[in-house]
Amino acid sequence: MYLLEHAMLNLGKNKGRNMLLLGITFAIITAIVVALSIFNATNLVIEETRTSLQSAVRIVPQMQTLGETGGTGGGQMITGQAAQNQATFTAEQFSDFANSDFVLGWDLQDTPRGTDAVFYLVSPLLLSDFEAELREKGLPENYAVRTDEAAFASIVAPVESLQSLAITFLAVVVVLGGVIMALLSVIAIRERKYEIGVLRAMGLKKRKVAFVIWAENVIITGFCFVLGMAAGNFLSQPISDNILAGQILSNADGESTATTLAERLASESADALSTENFSENLQIDILINATTALQILAISLLLASLVGIISVSQITKSEPIKILMERT
Amino acid sequence: MLALKNISYKYEGTTRTIFKDVNLEFSPGKVYTIVGKSGAGKSTLLALLSGLDVATGGEIVYNGENLAKINRNHYRARQMGMVFQSLNLIPTATALDNIVLSMNISGVGGNKTRALELLKTMGISPEKSRRKILKLSGGEQQRIAIARAIAHNPPLIVADEPTGNLDKETEGKVLKIFENIAHEQGKCVIIVTHSRRVTTIADEIWHVEKGIFRRFDGNVNAPQTQKRRRK
Ligand SMILES: Nc1ncnc2c1ncn2[C@@H]1O[C@H](COP(=O)(O)OP(=O)(O)OP(=O)(O)O)[C@@H](O)[C@H]1O
Ligand SMILES: [Mg+2]
Repeated sequence: MYLLEHAMLNLGKNKGRNMLLLGITFAIITAIVVALSIFNATNLVIEETRTSLQSAVRIVPQMQTLGETGGTGGGQMITGQAAQNQATFTAEQFSDFANSDFVLGWDLQDTPRGTDAVFYLVSPLLLSDFEAELREKGLPENYAVRTDEAAFASIVAPVESLQSLAITFLAVVVVLGGVIMALLSVIAIRERKYEIGVLRAMGLKKRKVAFVIWAENVIITGFCFVLGMAAGNFLSQPISDNILAGQILSNADGESTATTLAERLASESADALSTENFSENLQIDILINATTALQILAISLLLASLVGIISVSQITKSEPIKILMERT
Repeated sequence: MLALKNISYKYEGTTRTIFKDVNLEFSPGKVYTIVGKSGAGKSTLLALLSGLDVATGGEIVYNGENLAKINRNHYRARQMGMVFQSLNLIPTATALDNIVLSMNISGVGGNKTRALELLKTMGISPEKSRRKILKLSGGEQQRIAIARAIAHNPPLIVADEPTGNLDKETEGKVLKIFENIAHEQGKCVIIVTHSRRVTTIADEIWHVEKGIFRRFDGNVNAPQTQKRRRK
């Protein structure tokens, strides 16, 4: 207990050094908060989009698929081609298709190329059952029932780039932050060699000296954790919005497919929107939830402990007699 | 209580032998002073006695146990109190905190009231006790270092030049305290000093020169040859 007290006293003593350490730790933790919260939020969006899109299916011409080299990566292509062949079914036919126990709801949308429909299944697992039913209703063999991969890709692409940016940034911050904090702690221990020598000469065990230093680091880190969470909370939303805007701009050029489902996701209104409009509306709500907070706390404490370990190895290096003699 | 048996010592990386086959014995209830020229090895001896350093030959036995083989952290924390020549107080902490911390480390438990009382007997007012070491005079710092050495009531007190910075009057007070600790409380007090006055409270005076300890018998100018040589 008195060791903790001593650690607290120490924090109050060397204000200059501790403020520096505080500032750097704060910056590192804020960066971690921003990176990790964006990463987790994008993860969530991708997951949600995946599950919601998996039960959304459309009818696409099979012939074109067979014409491809059989890769599943051709999703974008298929939809593109499907768009050209859209006029094959009438609104009545779509309505008939939609009249099924497997279908929760459906959407009919006018695209510049014709009428297209999206069916929302009760569960993604019912895809083959639904397809069998459509065959009975007279769906020609050269049409297949597919999940809307193009829509998924177009929504997820900017989010994925944001995510990979966030994870790269996180890795850089953690590694760089770790190195900086380790260096700082080595310097700090050098500076405090004398005090450590005195404590050791009074018979304080190495383990306990290390605890004092570790406790100081944890207190600083804990303080920075609170501050960093607050700052990160403020910063991550605008940062995410900015990056996402950039991503969408660069993605927009390469996109030609209008994806009705995406539109639906973007705005619940029935008005058809273009992909560009949808993307502009795409917004990831960055919320720091309990899991994210815990992850950040874990990373922070890990950094503080790393500093502690380095400090211990530094202390172990010298015997108190040597430390005290160096001074005189 | 504390015995040196054929102790030899050489600093690492040097050729000069500081001690060779030294045999000394210290008993409770007595004041010992060790005198000798600068560089004779007095502080080196205290470093060995306090377990801060380990002899290169021979052994130091404390209450039947070889210092080289026991937990010296425990020995330093509980069994002995040391006043360093360079004081070694924590400069950024207050006098009071220095004492309380030492009490805590020794396991007797930090007690501010007791610490303040002790500092008062050393002539350090409560106001000064709450000042940082850096803001106290050399003599004040020295008395705080002495207070720290005796605060946890150790059976063995080792002091290196503890009155060097003190005026006559304060020196007298401090010597009374040392005398009291040895003769009334039955502790073993070992003091390294250049001051004649300090030797007046000693039960035994030892002179060290060229690694050899000789005992003075009352007459400072007539050293005897080393007693208690074993083997
Ligand atoms: N760390 C060290 N490495 C090598 N030699 C040392 C070291 N410390 C002290 N010495 C040498 O050992 C000798 C004894 O030193 P010591 O400090 O014990 O002297 P002392 O009797 O306490 O002197 P003083 O009265 O000036 O304090 C000196 O010659 C000193 O130069
Ligand atoms: Mg000395």
